[in-house]
Order: sequence, then structure tokens, then C-alpha cells
Amino acid sequence: MKLSRRLFLGAAGAATVLTVWPGLSAAAAGDGDARLLVVLLRGGLDGLHALPPRDDAAYARLRGALAPQNARPLNADFALHPSLEFAHGLYGRGQLLPIVAIAPPYRQRSHFEAQDCLENGTASASGAATGWLNRCAAALRGGEALSLTAVTPLIMRGPGATTSWSPPLPEDVDPVLLQRLQPLYAADPQLSAAFARAVDTQGLAGTAGNARSGRLAQTMAAAAQFLAAPDGPRLAFVEDSGWDTHGNQAAVLARKLAELDAGLRRYHDDAAAIWNRTAIAVVSEFGRTAAVNGTAGTDHGTGGLALLAGGAVRGGRIGGDWPGLSPSALNDGRDLRATTDLRALFKGLLATHLRVSESALETRVFPDSRAIAPMIGLTG
Amino acid sequence: MIPRETVSAVNRFGLGAAPGQLAAVGSDPRGWLKAQLRGDAAASRYADLPSSLDYLRREAGYYRERQAARRDGDGKDAVDSFRQRFGDDQWREQGRRYRVAAANADGFAERLVRFWSNHFAISVDKRAASLYAAPMEREAIRPHLYGRYADLLTAVESHPGMLRYLDNVRSVGADSRYARRARQRMARADRQRPRREVGLNENLAREILELHTLGVDGGYSQADVTELARAITGWGVPLPRELADGGADSAFAFRAAAHESGVRNVVGRRYAQGGLEQGRAILADLAVHPATARHLSYKLARHFVADTPPPALVARLAAAWQRSGGDLATVYAALIDSPEAWGADARKFKTPDDFVLSALRAGGIVPGERPRALVGLLARMGQPPFTPRSPAGYADEAAEWNGADALWKRVQAAQSLSESAPEARIEPLAVAQAVFADRLDADTLSALRRAESPRSGLTMLYASPAFQWRS
Repeated sequence: MKLSRRLFLGAAGAATVLTVWPGLSAAAAGDGDARLLVVLLRGGLDGLHALPPRDDAAYARLRGALAPQNARPLNADFALHPSLEFAHGLYGRGQLLPIVAIAPPYRQRSHFEAQDCLENGTASASGAATGWLNRCAAALRGGEALSLTAVTPLIMRGPGATTSWSPPLPEDVDPVLLQRLQPLYAADPQLSAAFARAVDTQGLAGTAGNARSGRLAQTMAAAAQFLAAPDGPRLAFVEDSGWDTHGNQAAVLARKLAELDAGLRRYHDDAAAIWNRTAIAVVSEFGRTAAVNGTAGTDHGTGGLALLAGGAVRGGRIGGDWPGLSPSALNDGRDLRATTDLRALFKGLLATHLRVSESALETRVFPDSRAIAPMIGLTG
Repeated sequence: MIPRETVSAVNRFGLGAAPGQLAAVGSDPRGWLKAQLRGDAAASRYADLPSSLDYLRREAGYYRERQAARRDGDGKDAVDSFRQRFGDDQWREQGRRYRVAAANADGFAERLVRFWSNHFAISVDKRAASLYAAPMEREAIRPHLYGRYADLLTAVESHPGMLRYLDNVRSVGADSRYARRARQRMARADRQRPRREVGLNENLAREILELHTLGVDGGYSQADVTELARAITGWGVPLPRELADGGADSAFAFRAAAHESGVRNVVGRRYAQGGLEQGRAILADLAVHPATARHLSYKLARHFVADTPPPALVARLAAAWQRSGGDLATVYAALIDSPEAWGADARKFKTPDDFVLSALRAGGIVPGERPRALVGLLARMGQPPFTPRSPAGYADEAAEWNGADALWKRVQAAQSLSESAPEARIEPLAVAQAVFADRLDADTLSALRRAESPRSGLTMLYASPAFQWRS
């Protein structure tokens, strides 16, 4: 496997780049066998689409035709989007734990700020210039962390021992990017026809049946290889974009969720040896409006969805507190209310799965978070 | 308020705005362009690289070692392949070239370098020329950017890159001493020396007339091609043994023995004396020929203003060319002073090289010392550096570059490029402001505002139709 894949940056401007995994000291092994992979879906995953409530009149009224057809039932209350086939199987084996109505402690509607808040692990977008995964690495003896990104994201920045590896050039074009570009190109008389042809030929816009597993799966396969190595890192971070579904959401999410599902499957298959010691946390910066908007999509909202997956996860059930979708239950009358702070989820994972001490969690990894009780019983 | 002309000066005349550049140029875009006509500010950035003469010496050493290894029966493996031996040199040349272009504040100067480099296109696909393409640009083109075209032309036509790419090093005059000796040897059936055909090669002479000076409709004949080819017989590079002895002190060697002496007639003029000066005199005349003035003025206007440049503009540049005896700085100044160059409809579709460079500059991305991924990206987009399919160089018209597949690859490239932008907080709106000032359309701005992350915003900017144009 080729480990170095930095693109254009010269050595001076580059973050740490893996050429050979540096290896951890022997002292790092032992209790540190647990692995945590954080997957950030940038753009705001519509949790109500990925995990639709069943037989919910309010949901049917709000979403109408946008509600996914043929969702796969999980329990009496919720179902999984049909694209999440592998995840559905994990649920049946007790290895998938969806957590509803969750979000970082940020209530505005900017992607950037919400992501900063999620990544810096504080109560606000400007609360810290370093990331909680990095601070977690610093708190874990020998707990090096790996960012599978071309550049170091905020969540990985800071004094802790982290490194990065960048996946190959993206071949797939982000469908949301394409969607936004279409009207811009349509307005350029010299480029409109060629661009429209490109979209037709390359078969993107709304290609739900696209067989390609996508870039996320490729990156998660790489994560599996790194994390499964005997002296590999214990913490890893993967990100993906294309989740900001203001229009044509059904087709975009059918594809994106299939990519996520393929990613989980690749990790499961490629990291079989450590699957039982793995927890994967799939999170997003916020949820979306409860009601469908005027362009068959949804706008920025609040309460989102997290998915925990892995052999170490105590799944087969739905986590979190469901506030419901009745008009009076909605936040500002428009979004699913967030009832759980994402930090509670992260703290719970770090405490039980990685055994980060409570004091480190409350002071260094998630500063000033004593009031946010770790979720219990997520793993083990 | 940044004037529209400033945005054009930096993005259309230059290689694209880097953060802060529009403000630095301010309200005198013409003054900013003209200030660059005084010399190559980036010349020192190349000072530590080997010269073509160094490369010729190393290459001669390589062939000597390989020959010795073969003689000793060591086979192929004893000596690295040419690519192994010199691959690193070529990567370093490429890297330096892109690092300079990505960083130089004198974007107009860098664009002129690339314009002339493409005008005098040579391809690294041809082994004999492969080490010399980038050196030709920095040794023959950069020093003559603002001088007389005759000097630029002569420097290029006597550079080992061009002499080898268009086969002039193998061209031998039929009545030269070298050819006569070769005929005598053949007559004696001298088996000791390998028999090799010697004679005239017209390749370089034809391209000088068709591409480098008069243009395909410039009024020259086949006889002119042959005569010019004869005049420049002997223009070559030092022999391996001269290089080994350390005797050579230039990468250019006039091989008098291969030169065909005598009177030459080229494009209606008679050139009495033979020798090296004859070829130089012909090039000097070709450089100021009215057809050359028209041909080059058209190419310059097309490159900087529009695919179909206004005829009045071309005529004005050609007049400046002839009035000044082909003084390039005078011609560029005429371009800068022409109202047509600043019209609202003046715009050019970026070539892949333009696109990538402008994205590097906007994003503050500095390419690596050995930029394999960057060159790979350019290759996938159809414009690998120094690898045109013909001596005509890469096309300079939108139709060549804006097909469906090409646009698709740009969107993919936009994703790659934004991932390479340095990790300091990227702000797409700030980058857009740095590139376009307030000239970006409202729809694109609104798309940037809605981007999922700063990085996807930067991708959006790079992939947007507005960014595909030098306008």
C-alpha cells in the first residue's frame, strides 16, 4: 500500500505526512487495543431521511413525497434508509446504534461554525483553536491519531501526536457541488451546452443507482488498514462532503448513504481482526428542517443523527431522546429539537471505549464540560 | 473600489490574482503592467540550476559510461537508464518552474514567458530534447522577453533544445567538408566506420518560417525553406569528446565542417557570406519582416485579448512591431495602451495550465520541489508541461479546451486543488474577493456562501464558470 499521497504542497507547507507509519512504543499496546474512527459528514446529514420514523403522521405531513420508500424497519418506531443495507444488517447483529436528535451545542445555521464547534469540542464555534481528537491523543499515552485527509482538520489540530495521510485524488464529483454548479454554467452561453453534456455523459445528477462505492469507502478502507496494523494508531478521522441537500435530496442521499454504507462494509471487511475492538462514530454538524422545502430538499436545521457502528458497540437499539415532530415539539417551529449534546456521545465513547480518565475528559479533552454527562452503555 | 481594468490586468494579462494583489496594483493597472517590462525579476530564482552545458556534459558522461559497460559486457543493468539518471533533474526543473509561476508577483512577465515558450514549443517526448525544454525557457526566452525579437529568435534557434527537437544537429550541407569526407569514405567502402546517411534536414528551417516567424501564409516558398536550411547547417551542439575534454564553453557549437557555404537567397533577399553570421542575418531579417509582425501580433492579441482579436488591435501591434524593429517591449506597451485590450467583452478561456496556476495562486498553494501530482493533473487535463503534440504548441482557443469531458475534469481538478490549499483557515468569499474584487456575479457568490465547508467553498470557486475565464 502506498502511504504517501500528498499532492502539491512543498515540504515547507505540508502537515506531517506518513511515508511509513512511525509505529507506537511497546508501552502503547495492551489496554489501548480499542480503536475509534470518527467519520464527519460535512454539510448536515438529514437524520430524518436516513432514519425515518415509522407510522408518524407528523412526519408524513412534513415530508410528503420526500419520505424514502422501502425503508428497512429497525424497531416499532424507526427504519433505516434503503441504501443503508449493510448498516441494517449490523443493527440485527447488535452492532449499530443510531442516536437520534443529537447536535453540537451550537444553534445558529452556519456550516462552518457548527463544524468548528463539533471539532473543537467546546460550547461554541470560537471556543478553542485545537480539536478534541487531538487533545484526546495527547491524553492517551502513546495514543497517536491519524487524519485521513489531505490537510489537517480542526478536530486534529493541536499539541497531541497526530499525523495525516491523504487519500488519492477524488475522481467522483460531489453531487451537491454539481447541483450548485448547474445553474451557474447554464448562465454561461459559451459553456452551458458542454457542461450539460458532461453531466449527462458522466451520469451524475440524481443517479441513485450509481454502482461506484465512492471516495468515502476508499478512505475507510485505508482507515481499516491503518487501524488494523499491530502498531497502528488508535484514533482516526475521516471526513466526507456532499451532504448539504437543499435540492433533489432523495437522489443525492440515495447515493451518499450508499457510499456511507459501502464505507462501513469496507471497514468491517478490511479490519476484521479489530472489528470487535472498534467503535465508529458517524456524525454531522447539524440536522435539517423538518419540512421539505420548495426544491425537494431541506434547509439547515438542528437535531441530527449519529450512527455508532462496530463490534465494540452495544447496538441493536435506538439511542437518544426522541422529541417528536409535532408542531409544538419542533425547535423554532421548524427543526427537530436537539436533546443530546454530541459531546455527551463523544465523552461516553472516550470514557468506556478508550478509558480516558474522567478528569482528562472534563478539563482537557472537552474543557468545561462537567455539566455534560457522558452517555453510558455505548460500548462494552 | 478596485477598477475592472485592474482585475483584468492581474487575471487576464497575468496568471491570476494572489491574495492582496489586486489591492497592491490599485488604480493604475497599465502602470503595473508596464513596470514589468523592465527586466525579469524572477531570474535569480533559477540561478542555482544546472545550465544546458552542464546537462550536455553529464549526458555525454552517461553515454560514455554506458558504452564502456556494453564493451565490458556488463549489459544494460550496469548503468542506470537515461530516465533514472536524469529524471530527478527534470522533476526539479518542472518544480522550479511552477514554484516561480505560482509565487511571482509579476504575473504579466510569467505569462509572457509561457506565451513564448509555447510559441517556440519543444516536447520532452523527444529523448534528445528532453533535458533541455525547461532550460531553453530560462536560458533563451526569459533573458530576451523585453528585447528585440531577433535576439529572442536567435537565442531559441541556437539552443540545444530547439536544435535537437527539430533535428538541426543532424543537418549537413551537401557540399560541406563533412559531407564530402563521408562520400569519400563510402566510395572507399570503409567498413571501419558505420555508414550513415548525411545530408540536409529541413525540419527546423520550415518551422522557423511557418511557426516562428512569417506564419504559414507568410509568403515563403519551398525554395526558401531549403535555402534557410542550408544557411543554418552546422548550427549544433558540442560533440561528446569536446565536452569530455572540457573544451566546450557553450551549449551551442557552430560546426563549420557541416556548414554549406555559399550565397543563399531567402524570402527575396540575398545573403552573400556563408558561415554562422549568414544564418543570424537571415533570422534578424525574418524577425522584422512585415509578415512576422502580423503573425506574432495576431498571436499576442489572441493570447491576451480574445480568440478572435479585433483587427484594429492586431494592426496597431503590427505597426508598433515594424516601427520599432521588433522591439518586444514596444509591442507590449502598444497592447497595454490599446482600448480594445480593455473592452468589456475581452476574455479568454483558461487553458489547463492557466487554470491550475491561477488556482494555485488564489489558494496560496506552493507546488512541491518535484511536483509529480501537479504534472499528473495537467496531463489528465490534456496539457502536460513541455509535451505538446507538435512544434505548433498547445492551442490558444477556447474550443480546444472547453469540451464536455474537459469541463468535467476541471470540476475534478477543482476538488484536488482545493484539498491542496494550505490548512490555515480558507475563506472562499475572501479568496473570491482577492481574485475578482467585486466583479463576481451574485449567483456564484451566493453559491459560495452556501458551501458546506470552507474547503468545498474553495472547490466551488475553482469549479465555477467564472473562474474558467481570464476576463
